[in-house]
Amino acid sequence: MVKAIIFDSSTIISFAMNGLYDELKSLKGAFDGKFVITKDVKREIIERPITIKRFELEALKIKQLLDEGVFVMPEDLGVNEMEISEKTDKYLDTANTTFMARDEKMHIIDLGEASCLALSEILTQAKVKNVIAIDERTTRMLAEKPENLRDLFQRKLHTRINTKKENFKIFKGFNFIRSTELIYIAYKKGLIKISDGAVVLDALLYSLKFKGCSISDAEINEIKKL
Amino acid sequence: MKETGNILNILEQSRDAVKKEDVSKLKDLSDQTIHTASTSQDPDNITVAVIVYSLSKIIERKRYREYPEWNNFYKTYIYNIENVISAIKKNDEEKISQSLRSIRAEIDSISGNLKRDIQDVFRKASINKASKIYEHGISMEQTAKLLGITVWELASYAGQNPEISETNLQLTQDIKTRIKLAVDMFRD
Repeated sequence: MVKAIIFDSSTIISFAMNGLYDELKSLKGAFDGKFVITKDVKREIIERPITIKRFELEALKIKQLLDEGVFVMPEDLGVNEMEISEKTDKYLDTANTTFMARDEKMHIIDLGEASCLALSEILTQAKVKNVIAIDERTTRMLAEKPENLRDLFQRKLHTRINTKKENFKIFKGFNFIRSTELIYIAYKKGLIKISDGAVVLDALLYSLKFKGCSISDAEINEIKKL
Repeated sequence: MKETGNILNILEQSRDAVKKEDVSKLKDLSDQTIHTASTSQDPDNITVAVIVYSLSKIIERKRYREYPEWNNFYKTYIYNIENVISAIKKNDEEKISQSLRSIRAEIDSISGNLKRDIQDVFRKASINKASKIYEHGISMEQTAKLLGITVWELASYAGQNPEISETNLQLTQDIKTRIKLAVDMFRD
């Protein structure tokens, strides 16, 4: 059975900002499937940062991973861009009309995130087993517990949030992992080439957390006990 | 611009806080703009949030006053804020946007080292406000887009904000289940 991990920009950025390129390569080597990025994600991780001096090197290194086939574009799985684009629009429209604050629709996600949902739906329909690797929390919350997202908005904005609950079901059925679960796999498979094993998993998990992976200290402690 | 009454109040208080050099008041006022910026995502509201936070940093760093360009910059900055206040009072939407743009444009016209420092303050203020908006539940990519920064800049800053990762609301699935999902994907 064909398998795929769909990467959002947030997860690749967590790896890249920690210089964990070799670990990504090793993970791909241990994975009997494809690491896929959409064109909207490619824009965020290569095309835009390559024009910014501070992130130019990271963008070049990710581009190299794409050139080497560690990452592939959806075409590699026979998915055409037009189909992704249409479904991306659907997810964008639905997500951004689901929550209302003070009679205003809240624009909560953007193209890259919506394109990961779109590609996941297409691959699932094509019987390709897939998960989305995403470190930012909003998209994950929208799909896994939209009521938590509503509660977060209410808590932070100090206002009542009206929701289109019928939209919730559209985001059901997606599977999400983060860079932290991927690095756990790399650690367990012996793909981490750093000695001093006692603290290396802790160091890896916290480095990813501090570069943007939305994971709590309690979750990290649980992972370390597994 | 949305909630102009609230923004007017914030800008007037900011002007007074600048005169009193009340840095913490300015930071507090900047945070008050975030609720509106998160919901309306109106560019002018977001600009006000960045301007007020930048002001707190500019006032806090007294060494900026030693630059020869300081007096001219400071007078023009306050003058432009007065213009925004006046435009809001007149309900002149076009003038509000124009005056806000003038504040940013003014920075580009400063000469010498002060320009580099103030540009840096504005860049960091944008990242700080982005982190706040992300904390409010808007996605990373959408927030970065709103503030004109990259997801790269937002990610590392947001990663150090415990308000984002430590809230119980972000726990949407048991960690063992998520790990199992990852393990199953890597199983032959």
